[in-house]
Amino acid sequence: MSADELSDLAHDVVSKASSLKEAAALLKRSSAAERAELLSLMVRSARELAERLETFEKEQKPA
Amino acid sequence: MLPRSAPLNRREMISYEMLPLHLKITVLEYPMAKLNILVVDDDPLAQKVLASHLAGHDVEFARDAASARKKLDGGRLDLCFIDLKLGAQDKECSGLTLIPIAAAKRVYSVVMSGHDSEDFVEKAYALGCDDFYSKGNEEATAGSVVERFLRRRGASDQQSIFSERFVTEDAPTRASISEALKYAGSGLPIMILGPSGTGKTSLARLLHDLSGRPGEFVAINCSAYTEDLLEAELFGYKKGAFTGAAENRKGKLLLADKGTLFLDEIGSMSLKMQTKLLKAIEEKSFYPLGSERAETSDFRIISATLEDVQGLIRAGKLRFDFFQRVHGLTIPLRALSQRKGDLFPLIAFFTRGVKKLSFTPEARQEILRHDWPGNTRELRKFVELLAAGDEGRVSAETVRRLVQSALTQDAPEAGFVSEEQYRFALDRGLDAAVDRFVDAVIKRSLSHHNGKKTKVLDDLKISTRILYASLKRGEPETAA
Repeated sequence: MSADELSDLAHDVVSKASSLKEAAALLKRSSAAERAELLSLMVRSARELAERLETFEKEQKPA
Repeated sequence: MLPRSAPLNRREMISYEMLPLHLKITVLEYPMAKLNILVVDDDPLAQKVLASHLAGHDVEFARDAASARKKLDGGRLDLCFIDLKLGAQDKECSGLTLIPIAAAKRVYSVVMSGHDSEDFVEKAYALGCDDFYSKGNEEATAGSVVERFLRRRGASDQQSIFSERFVTEDAPTRASISEALKYAGSGLPIMILGPSGTGKTSLARLLHDLSGRPGEFVAINCSAYTEDLLEAELFGYKKGAFTGAAENRKGKLLLADKGTLFLDEIGSMSLKMQTKLLKAIEEKSFYPLGSERAETSDFRIISATLEDVQGLIRAGKLRFDFFQRVHGLTIPLRALSQRKGDLFPLIAFFTRGVKKLSFTPEARQEILRHDWPGNTRELRKFVELLAAGDEGRVSAETVRRLVQSALTQDAPEAGFVSEEQYRFALDRGLDAAVDRFVDAVIKRSLSHHNGKKTKVLDDLKISTRILYASLKRGEPETAA
């Protein structure tokens, strides 16, 4: 695993996790409609994060 | 108590924290400037989060560098938040390419990234970004970025204000005006103090122009009217309300609806008039003369005087409750004699696009030696005379000659007797008009000599009898 690959992964994880944390804080003060929209985006974001990590894990496994 | 020149210290200026609650609320009622912001981020959740933190501004989005470029090229943007890595496959961090474009378009660019390594921060700043932050605390960061942007833009706007709208290089004057400008967009009443010709009306107009109030700037010089005429001018009247009222006429209060009412020489307003105006200010409604129907008007008050307001209050010439209503913030303007560094920048400003003047060293000395009692107004007249002449290079002799002419011509109206003075004489009789003229000259001379009567007697070549008769006439009226 190269330093660039690790840095790339760190960037993607930090970005997604930050947005999720901020969105969670927003949920408390959002209207019902906004909350629904936010939750849907959060679910999508969490899935993308999980996929990114899975892909990375697969790439690291020896063939 | 003799009137003295207006106090020019900054102690009377107040900060937001010192404002009474109702004025604080007025300040807060006016929203912060609405900005045009572009957020470049491929992540819809990150877009949504940032949009929430930037609520109140016009925010648009771009998911990739190509669409961001289009928006930067086509739009009038103030701020641009840029994520460096736009998509999982964007190994080159295409967000970086947007920074120089934003810089070229003078858009304040803010890089937000999950990459906060030194390498990326350095690259982003080298390309011309204005701000960089690591993702993770958007709520606080977005707020402080907008604040920094506004502060920077404010500083640059103020620089252009001091070179285009109120020309001054004098630090205390700039500080006073900057303080006033902070409250331009609020409904806070402002009182401007300063000798005649120092730019009180210009500052009032500037404050109105930057207020965002959609109505007109309506100015009235209270000293130019008798009490009855002032009432008619301010409140308006109905046809037949008094002899000579041939038709309905809107008053200044109504004309200033949703705008600014500038009351110049407020110290010359009678106590009775102050009471009436106070009621109109508090209730935002009033009755035009001869009308039984109240008019409403949402006007913001800016007032000005060259007199010592505290002295006027002590002498019973200015009602304290009226003063409290009109002086939310007090802004002193210094006489030109106290800011001679402004003389040549002002001369350059007055001759812009007209004629380039150059001065011999002696002429410059002569200009600096003169006290400019008529302040900017007198200087402008002087420059007009210079520009109308044939001399390209101005000599000391010309300066001396034209300074005298400018002083003579610094009269409020064309001709020796203004229309208002003539009407005053018709209304109150010639004796009263002469007394008023004598009182005004003596008052100005006293102010010029800081109340020293012997100097006034010498200067004006008058007897003590005339001086004391004038002072007696100026003693406070007994409030009813």
